[in-house]
Amino acid sequence: MKVQQTLARLRREFAIALAIAAKDVQVYYLAPPMIMFGLLLPFFMFFSFSVRRGLAPAESVARLLAITTFFTASSAGPVILPMERRTRTFERMLVAPVALISVLAGEAAVGMVFGAGVSILTLLLATIFLGVRSVSPVALIAAVLLASAAFSALGLLFASWPTSSATPVGSIMMPATLVRWPLMFVSGVFVPLEQMSQPLRAISYLSPLTYAQDLFDHLVMGRGLQPAALNWAALVAFLVIFIAATIWFHRVQRQRGY
Amino acid sequence: MAIAAIEAEELTRVYGSLRAVDGVSFTVEPGEIFGFLGPNGAGKTTTVRMLTTILTPTDGTARIFGHDIRRDSYGARLQFGVVPEESNVYLELSAWQNLLFSARLYRIPSHEARLRAERLLQLFGLWGRHQEKVQVFSRGMRRKVAIAMSLIHEPRLLFLDEPTSGLDVQSTRAIHELIRHLNQQGTTVFLTTHRMEEAQSLCTRIAIINRGRLATVDTPTKLRRTLQQLQAVEVQIDGLTEAEEEALQALPTVVRALRRGSALRLYTPEPVETIRELLRYADEHGKKIAALETLQPSLEEVFLYLTEGIEGVTVGEQAVPQAAKLGSERGGKR
Repeated sequence: MKVQQTLARLRREFAIALAIAAKDVQVYYLAPPMIMFGLLLPFFMFFSFSVRRGLAPAESVARLLAITTFFTASSAGPVILPMERRTRTFERMLVAPVALISVLAGEAAVGMVFGAGVSILTLLLATIFLGVRSVSPVALIAAVLLASAAFSALGLLFASWPTSSATPVGSIMMPATLVRWPLMFVSGVFVPLEQMSQPLRAISYLSPLTYAQDLFDHLVMGRGLQPAALNWAALVAFLVIFIAATIWFHRVQRQRGY
Repeated sequence: MAIAAIEAEELTRVYGSLRAVDGVSFTVEPGEIFGFLGPNGAGKTTTVRMLTTILTPTDGTARIFGHDIRRDSYGARLQFGVVPEESNVYLELSAWQNLLFSARLYRIPSHEARLRAERLLQLFGLWGRHQEKVQVFSRGMRRKVAIAMSLIHEPRLLFLDEPTSGLDVQSTRAIHELIRHLNQQGTTVFLTTHRMEEAQSLCTRIAIINRGRLATVDTPTKLRRTLQQLQAVEVQIDGLTEAEEEALQALPTVVRALRRGSALRLYTPEPVETIRELLRYADEHGKKIAALETLQPSLEEVFLYLTEGIEGVTVGEQAVPQAAKLGSERGGKR
């Protein structure tokens, strides 16, 4: 009986999280900050740093995947959450009979779908026009989804920093960009890990992007620096840590008052 | 005995050194329109935010139809709908989409949700424009959408935070009608407002809060009696001597007087009669009235009166103990 109740509750929470995600897609996918920070910026960065470097197509695709999953997925939270809090629509979800984790999962799902969608489209174009073939397409898509989920949770974490409800999008997005930008340089995206100095390499292991980049290297180019299993495990760990920290921030916020 | 719609017990919220809500206790019975009246910054919204589980109380608790907001917030949330002061609707979505999203938050089956959404939009006079994006709606229409969204799960209790704030007269009247209609259908309403006349015209009982503390919970009739005691006529008469001033203070309908600069404020439960007496006095003594106006008490004054009292003013059989500072340079009926 208790198991059935738990299952019913889980189904209910999952359905509400999906409803939140679907609403976000309707409301925010065409919001200018989403287009700017989530779509244009990653491609602009990729072309800025990759043109005239003579990268092999497979290497280019692996890097582009890392950039798009990272930047696109992590842009959703800092756009959506401040807007929801400013208009107080976030409170509508907080007073609904749904767990906080489901509300946050719904919000995170949007970034994940956004990041994964852009990345998979990139992958399709690369397959068609550059002839790039993955070592394991299914695993690659799974990796894109996992990385997007972890980075979307990172974006939500940025957006959940306890502040007043009137915080504009820019006040969240700018610090988030300032943190994300340097990560690109220490995570093997522009400078391969093996070419990094030892101290820089030690820092790179603190970045979730390092593991995503190495995993994409494995799955697109067929080689990576670390064992693929370590990359999978690290991305899962980062996902859990980011979600736990986000929930904690919201609990603090609830104590202090939204 | 029916379970109370709201039972608040010593609800307290502290921000640093500020006690925004300070040990507030009250009960709202099912079927009431309960007014929570207070000036801006009195602690009304903080109380609502605690009751609706958005904010954790520093101390105390409340039960919503028997569900404790701290121990069973999930159960409590199923019982109520909330309309904050700012209409929290999605401007990019249509009224219809907004309502259906709300229905999904409460897991109302799709077919049933559509029926309810249509019924609510018709009731609120928005059915003709249900497919339009809310961003083209007026403030009053947005408020209606926000209320409709909060009613989609048919809650037993509706929290309305300053529901007519910023609305024009016509929209205010329409919202008042809706509140009455919902109440007649069985919905208990908890209404916060800083407008006395709104609370008086809608509510079955009214609580007055100021600086986080509850002054009283009473019926509008009794509150009206209190307000009557605090009405005043402010008069400015050229060349008034001290003896003449005392004579004015002794007018039959005047209960208390205060000197306010060059004007004299006369507290009276019957301002019209006091004005007549003043005109008669001026006429008989050849005095010229330079200015004359009637004053309604501010909420702050009502609160001070209820908590501290005003010398010389009594309500019903209650004797008022101490003088409250309403601002005085000189005065008090002797």
